[in-house]
Amino acid sequence: MAGLELLSDEGYRVDGRRAGELRKVRARMGVFAQADGSAYIEQGNTKVLAVVYGPHEMRGSRSKALHDRALVNCQYSMATFSTGERKRRPHGDRKSSEMTLHLKQTFEAAILTQLYPRSQIDIYVQVLQADGGNYCASVNAATLATIDAGIPMRDYVCASSAGFIEDTPLADLNYVEEAAGGPQVALALLPKSDQIALLEMNSRLHEDHLDQVIEAAIKACKDIYTVLDQVVREHVHEVTTLLGE
Amino acid sequence: MASVVLSEAEKVYIVHGIQEDLRVDGRGCEDYRCTEVETDVVSNTSGSARVKLGHTDILVGVKAEMGTPKLEKPDEGYLEFFVDCSANATPEFEGRGGEELGTEIVNTLYRIFSNGSSIDLKSLCINPREHCWVLYVDVLLLECGGNLFDAISIAVKAALFNTRIPKVRVLEDDEGSKEIELSDDPYDCIRLNVDNVPCIITLSKIGCRHVVDATLQEEACSLASLLLSVTNRGTLTCMKKLGKGSLDPESIFEMMETGKKVGKTLHIALQKTLEKEESLGTTRQKVGFLG
Amino acid sequence: MAPPVRCCVPGERLCSLEEGAAGSGTYTRHGYVCASLAGCLLKTSEDGALPVVSVVRDAESQLLPDVGAVVTCKVCSINSRFAKVHILYIGSTPLKSTFRGTIRREDIRATEKDKVEVYKSFRPGDIVLAKVISLGDMQSNYLLSTAENELGVVVAHSEAGAQMVPISWCEMQCPRTHSKELRKVARVQPEFLQT
Repeated sequence: MAGLELLSDEGYRVDGRRAGELRKVRARMGVFAQADGSAYIEQGNTKVLAVVYGPHEMRGSRSKALHDRALVNCQYSMATFSTGERKRRPHGDRKSSEMTLHLKQTFEAAILTQLYPRSQIDIYVQVLQADGGNYCASVNAATLATIDAGIPMRDYVCASSAGFIEDTPLADLNYVEEAAGGPQVALALLPKSDQIALLEMNSRLHEDHLDQVIEAAIKACKDIYTVLDQVVREHVHEVTTLLGE
Repeated sequence: MASVVLSEAEKVYIVHGIQEDLRVDGRGCEDYRCTEVETDVVSNTSGSARVKLGHTDILVGVKAEMGTPKLEKPDEGYLEFFVDCSANATPEFEGRGGEELGTEIVNTLYRIFSNGSSIDLKSLCINPREHCWVLYVDVLLLECGGNLFDAISIAVKAALFNTRIPKVRVLEDDEGSKEIELSDDPYDCIRLNVDNVPCIITLSKIGCRHVVDATLQEEACSLASLLLSVTNRGTLTCMKKLGKGSLDPESIFEMMETGKKVGKTLHIALQKTLEKEESLGTTRQKVGFLG
Repeated sequence: MAPPVRCCVPGERLCSLEEGAAGSGTYTRHGYVCASLAGCLLKTSEDGALPVVSVVRDAESQLLPDVGAVVTCKVCSINSRFAKVHILYIGSTPLKSTFRGTIRREDIRATEKDKVEVYKSFRPGDIVLAKVISLGDMQSNYLLSTAENELGVVVAHSEAGAQMVPISWCEMQCPRTHSKELRKVARVQPEFLQT
């Protein structure tokens, strides 16, 4: 393939990482004071903001309320200046609706919704800069925001993507690697119990290689879990010392 | 607009305090809240800025693209505005809920920039009648804490100041067809002159006095507001009355005088901050939302 | 000296079910008590029973009205069959976003339910103490009841605009015009009265 080589002979990727290395992750909780919970995450050049409201009364039609659980309502929206080519509509197109459904499915598995019957929890994700791994960064940011809002969760939800080039699984793909068209797997994991909340695969992959790729994705999720865990512990520690308990 | 629930007693408290020139957070009637301005927050854009005015958070991204000039102004480029009221600010903006507020803000921005002196559109022209730069200014409303218009105008001015448009050369072929060549050097770019870009000052009338930079609670107590667009020399370029109450002519003249005074100080402070940021150059530590 | 505070995060295993019972902010899985919130661990030991393990957060997260909770609400509209209210406080915690509730005509009083008239019990704008009797189903909001002596109207404004003083369980008087208006008045506990 002429042009960009996704994996050099020495084992370096386009941005200088090794095959199983993640991009630099920086995160912060409690970004906005008016929302119930908010968080910001940067994974390499991908920047995502997540905000959580709830649990509150059902807005809109009350008939959609579930009698024994809370309804998780998500919206995934990308800023018009987030991609290289300017996007015309921030949300409402097919891709955003698909991501919204995926986020909803992921968080319904993690949040203890039985504690809040007939109510609604809103999760809003805003992508400020898109450089690959948008869904995964959204899930990580939404996890931090939900913890910040004090909504009980079974476990963290950590997500990562993985690809497969030249017999090597790659972890945490950036935009260039995603656009190259090779097989990609997006995986959302509950780390403590090793339960997979969402698994999605694109393109063609031989089933012999599937195990390797999923292993690489699970390992990347666990690495992200260590980073997010540290952020949460620091935040909780900071808040409790400020309160003087 | 995100609404806040206030009881009658709270409204009376706010109104009485303002009569004595003392607002709930201790400011005077002409003081702004603590403002943070940061440019170059998003790297995919030609220019970007983030403004945090109290609890109001705005992110503006400017993208420069090539397009054809408009028929009635063949030797000028133009600006296109788009405002996205994201659901982050309040759940009412989910789906299409924020479109009404967004259209109102966009129309106000178009009115302010429609007079020819705000920004030099002729510098955006590449080939008359054929090619010009179109600046897409996208405003993202992240948190709504009162006084949206002021924050948005400060952010737009800062983003335009930060915009870097690559230099182009027009090559003429033998047949007469023109080719456009972008320069390879990423630092070789043209900057916009934002000295004449006006800022919006919103004055809300509460009781018989008017206040600058109202919070959400103060906006709930005010009946009418006046929106002024003031340049750095104190010239008023645009004026609009908002709200369901009515204003008498003396108050309007008083508010105009206050607006001009406050506007000049705002421009000086903003220019100083932008130049200080610029002078730090590449050594500046980018904080963004992490700080 | 206060014992060191232990912070925990969601999903963390706190103890096994033999050592402690699951309290608020925790859940049980595979015989272990695990945390579901990010906060401080709190162990309250009761005499005889197992210690209750719970996780507390600094800020209170949004509460939901539960059956049997006493709530403070504001009447927004009335009609001959029920009164619609906005629930503002649950116990003494203010809510960030209001919930909608309904007080049916037969739930306003405990005695003589068929002779009740909603217009003579509540008016729009009154602040009412009520108890949640049902979370409601597909068509209705939270169902509330004021069928107790301690429940009913606490603050009301007369037609003249002044705050009225309660004179009996069914009447309130305006201090400005001295006219009496009919309401279902709450009997305030003696310790809350300021003399």
